[in-house]
Amino acid sequence: MKELLPRDRIIRALRHEPLDRVPLLYRMKHEAKEKLARIYGIEDAATGRKHNPELELRLGNDAIIYQIGINADFSHRHIEIGETWYNHFGVGYGKSGLAGRTPEEEVVFAKTQEFWGPAKVVPENFPSSHPITSKEALDNYTWPDPNDRAILDPIQDLCDRYQDDYFIIVDLSSTLIEAAYAHIVGTQNFFLMMFDQPELINGVLDGLAEYYAALGRNAIKMGVDMIRVGDDVGAQQAMMISPDQWRELAKPRFDYMFKEFRKENPDIFIKLHSCGDYSPILGDQVELGVDLSGLMQPTGGNKDQAGLKKKYGEDITLIGGFDVQRLLPRGQVEEVRNGVLEVMKNLATGGGYIFSPSHYILADVPVQNIYTMLEAQRDFGTYGKYPLN
Amino acid sequence: MTEPILQIPEGWEGRAPEGWEWATLWTAVEEGDHTYTHERVEQAIEVGIDPRIILDDGLFPGFNLQGDRFSEQIIFIPEMLITARAMKAGLALIRPLLAAAAEKPLGTFVMGTVLGDMHDIGQSIVTIMLENAGFNVINLGTDVHPDKFIETAVAEQADLVGFSALLSTTVYYQKVTIEEFEKAGHRDKVHILIGGAPTSQEWADECGADGWGKDAMEAVKLARRLVAEQRATWDQASN
Repeated sequence: MKELLPRDRIIRALRHEPLDRVPLLYRMKHEAKEKLARIYGIEDAATGRKHNPELELRLGNDAIIYQIGINADFSHRHIEIGETWYNHFGVGYGKSGLAGRTPEEEVVFAKTQEFWGPAKVVPENFPSSHPITSKEALDNYTWPDPNDRAILDPIQDLCDRYQDDYFIIVDLSSTLIEAAYAHIVGTQNFFLMMFDQPELINGVLDGLAEYYAALGRNAIKMGVDMIRVGDDVGAQQAMMISPDQWRELAKPRFDYMFKEFRKENPDIFIKLHSCGDYSPILGDQVELGVDLSGLMQPTGGNKDQAGLKKKYGEDITLIGGFDVQRLLPRGQVEEVRNGVLEVMKNLATGGGYIFSPSHYILADVPVQNIYTMLEAQRDFGTYGKYPLN
Repeated sequence: MTEPILQIPEGWEGRAPEGWEWATLWTAVEEGDHTYTHERVEQAIEVGIDPRIILDDGLFPGFNLQGDRFSEQIIFIPEMLITARAMKAGLALIRPLLAAAAEKPLGTFVMGTVLGDMHDIGQSIVTIMLENAGFNVINLGTDVHPDKFIETAVAEQADLVGFSALLSTTVYYQKVTIEEFEKAGHRDKVHILIGGAPTSQEWADECGADGWGKDAMEAVKLARRLVAEQRATWDQASN
């Protein structure tokens, strides 16, 4: 088959149509991106809302993801030790201690550097204060403005510059349950309030659904191809809340949001992402009309990729499934290559699949493993050739 | 998958006053009713039931049932948390009595997320489960320097130390921290457990840990087993 335009490659995968090769879509945290950017002489290796997609496109990405949700900024910005930085939702974020390390910590850090080679290990920023922990706080809370031009204008710019060739995704994560527990309410508070103060939980989730429905519609007005909602409800071995609790708290609100999105564009593609194992609700995602869903950590929970593909592969396009917890950061070159082959055999047969590591490429991934993965993706991801003949 | 069932303590009637029943407490802990748990434990103390018996016959059955259901993915984090809260309400009443009767905790467990890692959902749940199972847990929170683990283990004469890590970039600190325990000469005095999403039994073996908990209930079972095993004592160390 003639080589497709990247955007057409993604669209055909989403429609389960024949295509030249398995599309590619991965994301990197800024430490990993900086390493590669240096090699390619690309100076601007920004991630998050200031994301410059040039490097990823050069290395084969078929789509551009632009984050505008509650977690678009905090993990990509510099926060001083001891500083609390507040985002537009009023959530405070702090930093773990490595950047201001003591001489003793320096010794430990040096050992890590030795182990990981050139990887630069930088600690994560993390939510440290939550704006809504009482009914009163909810009543007095002002949700952010979904018409904020500072958030929306860069989307137009991305569409103008790239959409002729590439598929444009706007990412609203964290969107609902995760936005509530990790950011707005606090994790333990959230789980206990599900029983003690359900009206508060419902109020927070309603506020999020309203805000993101409006924000998503604004993005769709600008002509983006896909809205991605990200909502972590999966842990390594199981879901965090029960499938039934998800059906009660999340499903109707996603249904509402997706209907709102489709008012702007009935054909808008929708991706629903969660980390961890959420295989018990894949069927619900199909019911919601989700076009693309991740098959996440192949190292925990439901590891039967081929079985999941068989069960849901006709109804939904799948993305991910390549292990980032052990294989990508710590595998030998041959193991990485075989890992890609395995994923292609399990998930790419018959189309309807986008290759991706199961999560961000982090600081600890050796450059040669990134190259190996990308090379194997071309070698084993071409339709009409082994293993996809 | 086997459906866990309530394990009724054998011969409990013989350890309680005539006419006493525990079934409502088993259910209250199972369903996470902390108000009733508090009341019923208070009543049990009033009628003079031994605190150790309240714990074993009254509180553990419902807690263990939910722990097993959690492992089997029949219940999930929210239900486990409310059961833990109920358990805690009962323990708050009997812990001082146990201490007064010179009953020691099952062991002292120093817990934390390793340096550079801020994730704490998993280790918080493990902490709650361990406390409820009778361990004295000192939770150092997230982003814990190896020296802090060691200082605390020494000060508390810990039996077990647990390191959590969520990221592939931070699991290495589990290994580093174990090495630091070795250098400080304390490795043989504590059992070290690791856990967290990117970890596995293979990684536990590779980094020199004594055990790996696949989930919170596994961690509790492992801790119960390990604490009974022989190791060098802190007293010898200080000589």
